[in-house]
Amino acid sequence: MQRRVVITSIGVISSLGFTLEEILNNLKNENTSFEKSIFDDEVAVSPINGFDVKDFAGHFKDKRYLNRGAQFCVASAIEAVKKAGIAKKSLAEAGLFLGTGPNLDIGGEFPDVKEGEIDRKDLMALWMLKFLPNTAASVIAILAGIHGENQTLTTACSASLQAIGEAFRKIKNGYIDLAFAGGGDSRLSKSSILAYKKAHVLCDGTGKPERASRPFDRSRNGFVPGEGGAFFLLEELQHAQKRGAVIYGEICGYGASIDGYSMTAPEPEGIWAEGSVNAALQEAGLAPSDINVISSHGTGTLLNDSMEADLIDRVYGKRSPFIIAVKSWIGHIAAACGAVELAICLACMKYSYLPKIKNLDEPCHAGLNFVREEQSYPIRNILLENFGFGGQNSVLIIKNIVTL
Amino acid sequence: MDILEEITEILAEILDIENNNISPETYLIRELGAESIDLLELAVALNSRFKIDVNDDEIFLRKLRQYVTEAEQQDKDILQYLAEKLPFLMHKRLEEIIADLEGGPTLRVKDLISYVERQRDGN
Repeated sequence: MQRRVVITSIGVISSLGFTLEEILNNLKNENTSFEKSIFDDEVAVSPINGFDVKDFAGHFKDKRYLNRGAQFCVASAIEAVKKAGIAKKSLAEAGLFLGTGPNLDIGGEFPDVKEGEIDRKDLMALWMLKFLPNTAASVIAILAGIHGENQTLTTACSASLQAIGEAFRKIKNGYIDLAFAGGGDSRLSKSSILAYKKAHVLCDGTGKPERASRPFDRSRNGFVPGEGGAFFLLEELQHAQKRGAVIYGEICGYGASIDGYSMTAPEPEGIWAEGSVNAALQEAGLAPSDINVISSHGTGTLLNDSMEADLIDRVYGKRSPFIIAVKSWIGHIAAACGAVELAICLACMKYSYLPKIKNLDEPCHAGLNFVREEQSYPIRNILLENFGFGGQNSVLIIKNIVTL
Repeated sequence: MDILEEITEILAEILDIENNNISPETYLIRELGAESIDLLELAVALNSRFKIDVNDDEIFLRKLRQYVTEAEQQDKDILQYLAEKLPFLMHKRLEEIIADLEGGPTLRVKDLISYVERQRDGN
């Protein structure tokens, strides 16, 4: 019999809250954290102010090697482990799959670098750990006692959704019974802001910060950097049922591809992105008409949103599912956007709620079912899309089996 | 701030522990659980904070057991031999260390203080 994979624990650290209930309430009350960057008042950001990894993971000395993104990884992973309530033996056998970003905080790490001279007296002996992509995985495994198969994916903004997809496949194909999967990231540092501003992908945040993130609006002009992390326990269905675990949803399909077109821009026709959508639908055994909600990548950049809107139009034709755009609420969490957006989608699924796309005054594309006003709505199958720098594409489909 | 206070602060930071768990008598490895990477960071921090040269092998007594074996093989007085090799430690402390070898890693906070004092005076 085909093995099925369900989500049985969620650890989330987002600007909308740390539990599904908090997230729902903050969506309903429009409590967002958008503000002007302290480094550049032309840039809007969505920070998690007051975040301290200690509040989630306690005291641990390896904290010194974690960049801010890795701290969100560790904090949300430990939350997911705590909430999973599984035995030590199961933890030891669990897999660990995560998406992480690069540490772009060069200026923060080396504030007085001159002529390439970085050798300062106070430079940590193992300073390189703050820049290695698998440092978060190492710390999570040490703290939680996880010893199973592990992968750290660094496929830009597609990374954490792919990490979840890879973990799903490992369980589905019988290599492991359970795995923690997710990611954490932060690109709000001075160097990060500089990097994305020079690449001309940030929105003009000179106006009101809460108006800056405008996915699919005609006036959109870039994304708003955010930060956070989310991890999930993925578990084989029978394994979960045997121990009476709470089930938040079933992962039933995953697709990924690479454009092979441009270093930063999406392939404008979305040919390969569409391939990842079709692959996920095929694995799930679903037709486009079975999807009733799409959680779009919706960055608010000109190129992504027009490619994505066309793609949705092609795949679903006249029967466009409801389209939400989580980045209009929390900004763009880079490598961790997929994981945090999944947590928010699971909150929406649990409470049968669709948040509006914020700041969508004039849709860039007619005929698509963008959610313009919040509404109660039962999510049957939700399809999540993430498309990243480098032409990375990923799609995950979640089935609502909470009521089964 | 005296040397003990500064070292205490550094250790608390590196090991993410409370200051009040640390006294001159505290064992770094046996009690505080310091691992080799922690000692690496400690050497960097001491070098930076006190502006002294830090030899990892000396300050962390890395070759202590090797010296004891060498002294035995060469039929030398162990105390005398250690005093030559680890000149920053007083005789009284070396006697204590020799008596304590069975118990595991002997490095204590007060050894770091002795090392820092000697390096500072030497400079």
